[in-house]
Amino acid sequence: MIYNVYLVGVGGQGVLTIGELIAETALLDKIPVNYYPTEGMAQRGGLVKAQIRIGQEFVGPHIPEKNADLIVAMEVSEALRTTQFIKPGSDFLLWGHIWLPTASLLGKQGYPGLDTVKEKIAQAGAKLLYLDPANLPTYQGSAIPDNLYVLGAAVRNTSLGKILNVETMGKAIENRWPKAAEKNLYAFQCGFEMASD
Amino acid sequence: MAEQIVNGNEALALGALKAGVRVVTGYPGTPSTRALASLLAMNPENVHVEWSTNEKVAFEIATGASWAGLRALCTMKMSGLNVAYDSLISVAHSGIVGGLVVYVADDVGANAGMAEQDSRGFAALADLPMLEPASVKETYQLVQTAFQISEEIGSPVFIRLVTAVANSKNVMNIPPAEPPPLKPPLLIKDIQKYTKAGSAICLAQHQDLLNRLEKARHIFDEMQLNPLHLSPRSGKVGIIASGITRAYLGEAIDFLENLGLQKEDLSILEIIASNPLPLDQIQQVLNHTQSVVVFEELDPLVEREVYIQAQRCGFKGNIFGKLNGLFSKVGAYELIHFIKGLAAVCEIEVTEEVLRGFHSEELAAPRPITVCAGCPHRGTYMAINQAIRKLRLRKEEVMVTGDIGCTILGMNPPFNTIWNEISMGASIALAQGFVHAGVKTPVIATMGDSTFFHAGIPGLVNAVQHQVPLTLIIMDNGWTAMTGMQANPGTDANFQNGEGKSVDIAQIIPSLSIEHFFTIDPYNLEASTATIQNALTLPGVKVILARRECAIQAQRREGRPGNITVNADLCNLCKLCITITGCPAISITNGKLEIDTELCSRCGLCAEVCNFDAIQLEMPG
Repeated sequence: MIYNVYLVGVGGQGVLTIGELIAETALLDKIPVNYYPTEGMAQRGGLVKAQIRIGQEFVGPHIPEKNADLIVAMEVSEALRTTQFIKPGSDFLLWGHIWLPTASLLGKQGYPGLDTVKEKIAQAGAKLLYLDPANLPTYQGSAIPDNLYVLGAAVRNTSLGKILNVETMGKAIENRWPKAAEKNLYAFQCGFEMASD
Repeated sequence: MAEQIVNGNEALALGALKAGVRVVTGYPGTPSTRALASLLAMNPENVHVEWSTNEKVAFEIATGASWAGLRALCTMKMSGLNVAYDSLISVAHSGIVGGLVVYVADDVGANAGMAEQDSRGFAALADLPMLEPASVKETYQLVQTAFQISEEIGSPVFIRLVTAVANSKNVMNIPPAEPPPLKPPLLIKDIQKYTKAGSAICLAQHQDLLNRLEKARHIFDEMQLNPLHLSPRSGKVGIIASGITRAYLGEAIDFLENLGLQKEDLSILEIIASNPLPLDQIQQVLNHTQSVVVFEELDPLVEREVYIQAQRCGFKGNIFGKLNGLFSKVGAYELIHFIKGLAAVCEIEVTEEVLRGFHSEELAAPRPITVCAGCPHRGTYMAINQAIRKLRLRKEEVMVTGDIGCTILGMNPPFNTIWNEISMGASIALAQGFVHAGVKTPVIATMGDSTFFHAGIPGLVNAVQHQVPLTLIIMDNGWTAMTGMQANPGTDANFQNGEGKSVDIAQIIPSLSIEHFFTIDPYNLEASTATIQNALTLPGVKVILARRECAIQAQRREGRPGNITVNADLCNLCKLCITITGCPAISITNGKLEIDTELCSRCGLCAEVCNFDAIQLEMPG
């Protein structure tokens, strides 16, 4: 069985960090994983996506349409680029961050409304879990890293938690930021606990 | 021995180290860059690793090392192979001594925005073996095989990865490689082999080359490199899958089993060596089956060979692939291709609906990529646009040719400065063509520093020789930035590997008898605009060096000194700063102009365009 995670967002949001932590967690627990990040050409502000296929040694890197067991979209408009990948009935985690492209900011082009995006996700047959950035907690006065918050929420609230071990993921976070583990684990934990309500 | 996560590029680098490579050269190019970059970072003992000026230079260095008896690796993306090819075909005919492996990465799907090219054709044209790993793990093994075959037959050998393998990360257990022993270089004088002096020599070399390829075919057959599985019963379905397509087969078969596909009816040939192709095994499949489907991305190279072999062995069945219109030559294959192909050949009905998801990407807001906050190129595009306007010309009247790398981003809004893009260094020669065509308005060519060194200099020399009136703007940010900050000849000597020295473009230009040579700081919009405006009115070849280090690199060392503030009382929300700079650090939040100080690089260009002094930049000192 292959478990597929599709990640999408904008460069600078830490989308690839989420992907790397998932891959790292699988590594620590000896689960085969193929992690295929596709980066845009710009450091920031371009489309970023990553495809993670867990559970099989030899596997094509692209997740087929209608095959993602989990989609995590870190940006509202970019979520629309992934609806074709969701396996009907599976989890779609939408982080409600809006990052307006310059042309949208200047009113030269539109930007899809949140309701439209939610509606399309529903039409694709996904189970939507929407997270509102307004509720992002703070740590020592500043906002916590939203990507780790989202990852925490995903592990608790979606099928990802059945595939990967939350403690191992905590270890992966510690390994990655040996000096800033506390802040990042806190963000991860906040996401995890937020979802439990 | 620790498990680690490596991508295809890193596995290739580690495999080459395991094979005892001594010299590694290359030029950065997505998606191949990480292979050589990871070796540079490892700094392995007894191995020379370098970014060379261009791919041809890189290949020639690797050849010299190989002719002296050492194992050498040369890395590049597909466009780079075009550059190296002149020397490559000559060396193919001469043959090699130490194992020589050429790694080429094809960007199937054109993710990085380049001509989508199938480099397998080059292996066929040069009569050189080519191996195609379909996974990260295979990459590690096959690069070692490539070195071994290269030495056994005496030809360079290609390793080809596609983006999805080069950039995929897997968990691997790779023991550290022992440093290769230092052995004295060979100096072999043999004009029959190492020159092309006369027809007799050239014809003999051509025959030798073909013999070496035949030898490779026998070795591959003996090692059973290309896995062949014939079904227990004959007369059924044949599958021929090449390169990365092998990785999707299992999933497609599982899917169709639910719809009645009989696994035991399938005969499967997996092709790892795309040159020379396993002709004998292809015939075995054809002799054993009624109809065949061929899976390969881009060109129908294998498929054409299947038609030839079908004719030779009297195969009367159907061949499914690109040539019967089932698949396209464009883009990467995904599971849907395999299901459609298998369904067609097995006569199973699968509706498109079952496979296609619910698409809504057409509703997503377009997000054209732009230059980073603080990018010096932003100032140069803005200055070009202003200079054109000050000369009372319309942008539609002034040809600005573009080149490869970050500088091409001037094609996108809000700048819309650059018109075209061909290949490394092409902008300067392309511009000359427009002048000869009779364009009377100023013609401008733009390129980056690494591009200038790579292939821009010959075009500039040509412009000087023929005194073609045009303006070349070299946007020198000190790094090969687009591919992730590699050092190029112009990079500061402190950041050159080992004993490297920096080559100063500002000293090259005057030595080419170019009278009108100017240097500008792209952060100084007014002065840059005036200089460009002036240059556009002068006769002959003009060169402007727009010089300022890449903001990302500068920040990594120096942080973000200074302060930028918006005075809301003075800001009337005219948005001119956003309209002109398109800087990703500027936004409007709750009806107020905001500058993200974590993103802002204090370039001050937004402050320079503000007519109301609403943006204040304060720099220390």
